[in-house]
Amino acid sequence: MDRAIKLQLSTSEMNYFPDEVIEHIFDFIPSHRDRNSISLVSKSWHKIERYSRHQVFIGNCYAISPERLIRRFPCLRSLTLKGKPHFADFNLVPHEWGGFLHPWIDALSKARVGLEELRLKRMVVSDESLELLSRSFVGFKSLVLVSCDGFTTDGLASIAANCRHLRELDLQENEIDDHRGQWLNCFPDSSTTLVSLNFACLKGETNLSALERLVARSPNLKSLKVNRAVPLDALTRLMSCAPQLVDLGVGCYENEAEPESFEKLMAAIKKCTLLRSLSGFSEVAPVCLTAFYPICENLTSLNLSYAAEIQGNHLIEFVQFCKRLQLLWILDSIGDKGLEIVASSCKELQELRVFPSDPHDEEDNNTAVTEIGLVAISAGCPKLHSILYFCKQMTNAALITVAKNCPNFIRFRLCILEPNKPDHITSQSLDEGFGAIVQACKGLRRLSVSGLLTDKVFLYIGMYAEQLEMLSIAFAGDTDKGMLYVLNGCKKLRKLEIRDSPFGNAALLADVGKYETMRSLWMSSCEVTLGGCKRLARNAPWLNVEIINENENGRMERNEEDEREKVDRLYLYRTVVGTRKDAPPCVTIL
Amino acid sequence: MENSNSYSPYSSSSVDSTKPSPSESSVNLSLSLTFPSTSSQRETSQDWPPIKPRLRDTLKSLRLRQRGYNTALFVKVYMEGVPIGRKLDLSTFSGYKSLLENLSHMFDTSVISGGTRDRKHHVLTYQDKDGDWMMVGDIPWDMFLETVRRLKITRPERC
Repeated sequence: MDRAIKLQLSTSEMNYFPDEVIEHIFDFIPSHRDRNSISLVSKSWHKIERYSRHQVFIGNCYAISPERLIRRFPCLRSLTLKGKPHFADFNLVPHEWGGFLHPWIDALSKARVGLEELRLKRMVVSDESLELLSRSFVGFKSLVLVSCDGFTTDGLASIAANCRHLRELDLQENEIDDHRGQWLNCFPDSSTTLVSLNFACLKGETNLSALERLVARSPNLKSLKVNRAVPLDALTRLMSCAPQLVDLGVGCYENEAEPESFEKLMAAIKKCTLLRSLSGFSEVAPVCLTAFYPICENLTSLNLSYAAEIQGNHLIEFVQFCKRLQLLWILDSIGDKGLEIVASSCKELQELRVFPSDPHDEEDNNTAVTEIGLVAISAGCPKLHSILYFCKQMTNAALITVAKNCPNFIRFRLCILEPNKPDHITSQSLDEGFGAIVQACKGLRRLSVSGLLTDKVFLYIGMYAEQLEMLSIAFAGDTDKGMLYVLNGCKKLRKLEIRDSPFGNAALLADVGKYETMRSLWMSSCEVTLGGCKRLARNAPWLNVEIINENENGRMERNEEDEREKVDRLYLYRTVVGTRKDAPPCVTIL
Repeated sequence: MENSNSYSPYSSSSVDSTKPSPSESSVNLSLSLTFPSTSSQRETSQDWPPIKPRLRDTLKSLRLRQRGYNTALFVKVYMEGVPIGRKLDLSTFSGYKSLLENLSHMFDTSVISGGTRDRKHHVLTYQDKDGDWMMVGDIPWDMFLETVRRLKITRPERC
């Protein structure tokens, strides 16, 4: 129990206390990892811990079944579930692969669990499930859906209508079929408990008067993120009746804001003295960003990654005044010059994400970011610990400098847009640069590598990245040795995802027991063959070894398979409940 | 419209295999299939660089707007044998699947693209910017939008 409260008393001494006292002590230990450790101490602690556990995190919904979850934690109140593997975000996993919510809601409902919070990531959610959810859990307070799909605004209508104590409805990056219905109208007039409402990802029309009435009767509303269909004057009215907002997501504005509406907006914004976080701004004229000048010094979080219409110079003009910024997500149109200004202005910066505005290199623009911007940020922002950086070029020298400037990185993700691109000055591989990062950043938990990389970078990662939990590899490495260095070296590795790299059966099969210590492994467009995967499945019955086929129209016929055939997509994960029954035809579980 | 001066690393289920590949190759570009027109995957199934769908869509519509498409993309649609045509805004469709569904509805018949020709269904064809008549569904949706000039729903036997 590294981070748990170090209990001075030994177990046997503690058992003189009644269970309620021990339970009360456990209440101070919220981290699920620590609680997992506590439950292993003794039988009585296991039992006390079980009944007092209210929050459960399940990183892979197929690792356990809903029934077993409920049996162990009957007093569950808050559940987090994750479904599809991470690369599903980038179109590498068929839509129907799995991750269905329904069995979970069904089981929780039947067992009458007092569910209050549900957080889902990459799950398939149906309107039916949402309706069942809304009717089954009287005290339901919070629904957070991230990158989910399968439902429509009808499902949202059920939640709005039936969850009397709803505090949070947070929809992030979901694919929702917008039936242009009146889901916002479905919040009853008596509903006044909303604290957080985010529907930025909805593509259709929004009933503005229903929204305004809802906001007006929600005095506790702290976070509001609207979709594109909420124009400037509506936004002004919303902000006027919710000056207590802390977190605002802005919709789509007309191209030219009339001076009068602009004045009114600015006046409303000035009153929002508690506003700390700003996002949205897709299809927005640059002048509208300036309406937020009055409060920009208060901002700690700014997400302009959808503001594709705002040019670099306007972004810079705004960001340079956000001196308290801790989180900044922005497009690379800000340029190296812009990042240099961020580095000199935003000394509190902890997390930076720079996204590509021209992902397929279709424009002849020179304003994208390079290694210069990255070095500037590393030099100027001492508190920086998380970075996601898309760029067109990189050098080892820059990475070595970044490592020296920022040994505190927890998350380091670098994506050079052109695969296999070497150091653009020396033409060498970027092994040394990434090597420097893993050597300096002793607390590194997440790493994504890119550019030209040989097996050597993986040797470094295996040697130095002792705390690494998640590693993403694309178009890298030379031989199986690369993957083996990682599997043998990174003791805390939980998730490994690899695409388009020459790792094959030898690496896959070398240490089958390793996969029991990990949540999952993804390999696509690598060298592993069907035969190799079959051998793995035979030797590791505690794993689900899934092959996702190109041809979606039929399972592989057993006698037609060629074991030397390379597997297109492999996804394997540990599980205590064996083969899942809901796999579609394009998935074969070995 | 191919970007012949830049690398486009589509892997597996995307684009046709005539895209230029990188000169140094420890890259394993697996079989590039012709884009399946009845794919149940996202139609714009590009998987590199690793950005999420919402950002991808935002940047794509920005690009279309900047190229003067004004986001709307109206083309004429004729059904063979019917003299009066219709006009359709292709930008409102997310891909081939929704286009075919909509046309089937509009013309009250079953319209399909290249894949399985079985003499019962009408087949959708298009005239590209070179003036040639082609089967709909062979190229990625984005490319199709850039090259399509008009649509024709042909009688089944013709193809």
